[in-house]
Amino acid sequence: MKQSYLVGVLFSTSGPYALLGRDALDGALMALAEINEDPAFPFTLAPLTGDPGGITDRYQTISDALIAGGARHVVGGITSWSRKEMIPVVEKRNALLWYPCPYEGYECSDRVVYVGACPNQHIVPLFAHLVPRFGKRAYLVGSNYIWGWETNRIARKLLEDCGGAVVGERYLPLGREDVDRIVAEIEATRPDFVLNNLIGPSSYAFLRAYAALARRNPDFAPERRPVASCDLAECELDQIGEAGIGNFAAAVYFDSLDSEANRRFLAEVRRRFGDGRRVSAFFVCAYMSVRILAEAIRETGSELPEAILPFISSRSFASPMGDLTISAQTRHTAFAPLLARIAEGNIFSVVESASVPVDPDPYLADYQGLRPIGANAMERPALRVVRS
Amino acid sequence: MSPSIGIPNFRGWSAIILHRPHAAAEAITRQLERIGATARIVWPELDATSGSADVVFFDADLGHDGQFPWPPGEAPMPLIALLGSEAPGRVEWAIGQGADAHILKPIGSAGVYSALVIARHAFAARRQLLAEIEDMRDRLRRRPTVARAVIAIMQGEKMNEAAAFRRLRQIAMESRRTIEDAAEMVIARYGTTDDARDSA
Repeated sequence: MKQSYLVGVLFSTSGPYALLGRDALDGALMALAEINEDPAFPFTLAPLTGDPGGITDRYQTISDALIAGGARHVVGGITSWSRKEMIPVVEKRNALLWYPCPYEGYECSDRVVYVGACPNQHIVPLFAHLVPRFGKRAYLVGSNYIWGWETNRIARKLLEDCGGAVVGERYLPLGREDVDRIVAEIEATRPDFVLNNLIGPSSYAFLRAYAALARRNPDFAPERRPVASCDLAECELDQIGEAGIGNFAAAVYFDSLDSEANRRFLAEVRRRFGDGRRVSAFFVCAYMSVRILAEAIRETGSELPEAILPFISSRSFASPMGDLTISAQTRHTAFAPLLARIAEGNIFSVVESASVPVDPDPYLADYQGLRPIGANAMERPALRVVRS
Repeated sequence: MSPSIGIPNFRGWSAIILHRPHAAAEAITRQLERIGATARIVWPELDATSGSADVVFFDADLGHDGQFPWPPGEAPMPLIALLGSEAPGRVEWAIGQGADAHILKPIGSAGVYSALVIARHAFAARRQLLAEIEDMRDRLRRRPTVARAVIAIMQGEKMNEAAAFRRLRQIAMESRRTIEDAAEMVIARYGTTDDARDSA
């Protein structure tokens, strides 16, 4: 009988950001199933799952229980708040956390593998695209915790650096949908664009209310004053409906990505989950977290972090979004950022993409202002305009 | 002083870690490299080239005054204390060196970035305050000069005291000088009075 390793998979599949949690959980489980069916792996991976229900205080106890139950690795966490809760646990218990989501940066735990984008891979290229096309005056909204606060703070500095301004900044507690005052303030302040760091139902309510404003006043149509997000996923577009169309999103993966690797991947997704199934960066990054972990266990013959960590930075890993490499210095992943507009049929239509992966820079140590696209080709690859 | 710290950037900073070779010094080195700074571990004492470092991390557990080429509290760069023992004597010694921030040992994968941001800010704020205090002291020292200048204007222009002071203030504003510098200028123009000479 094959040896089996336990892998903790810890996402909130109920609560305010359940859609993202379910998507990520499915991604992790699909990779586990693939590994277990593949004779090239001399072991199986068995999931230990838990559902914190979006309640932050549960992440610490549940992750601790998963590790106590025999899991040396935990794939999980959607919000930064939940990640910060789990880090002391994995550090204390010599386990590894695989975090598959975009986040605000300024962190580098020795016990976390960051398989999601950091700010130089999401908000910086997003603003480099938006500012020259729409203007330098932005309105910032976010959910009331560290992701919204810090991403909006970076946004403010990016705008101040290029002579722009923040005309308003508002936060809503997770799960709240009372967005009317925010939309009224946007109507009064007339920003060039809106950065939306709300998550879950707050974000959907906001996009619907903003679309209603645009129907009443065409001056707020997405062609004039779009909304842009760094955390919007395919699985959420149906919730948002028509209201999302024309608005922008930045991510390291969209299911519309036009590549042979992605076509093969999507065919496999549909075989397992059915024809209508759409997947997002959350799904794919959780999927890749498990794939990379499995490769590392196979190649090192160990599940110990001391063996896994040097290995994952020693080579690249094929993924639906191209080859991924993980920095030995920061354990963050190099990604080629994508910028898309939501098109008819709720498709993310890619408008700009980096031609090669952008090295992670979690502390924005190499930030040199919002360079016009193509001007900073030396350290970081330029983004290529696909369609505008 | 602006409360904003912008997007703090330490790319190109050179740091000295005054600590015996140890996991703590290595952990700091790794954290510094991630944020774009370079590090040099020095022990047992700073050398002549240390003055050009952008920041010094120093061991507060085994440290003593003789390790630093400057008097306690007069470091020309931000200092960050590395505290293992929280015994008050060690903390007091770290304060005496002029630590702008501290990190508790054991040192893992976090702490250096926020300590750098805080230390840089505290150091700059302290420098600015010292410069302002020095400026205030200088102006205080020169208060008799202002009095002499007002008397000189009163005598030269046949004005009362209030009008003479307004005149002096106007001269300062128009020549974009402090009142004290303008007073020096006025005295140079009108000569000085017997009263003033007596008090000088």
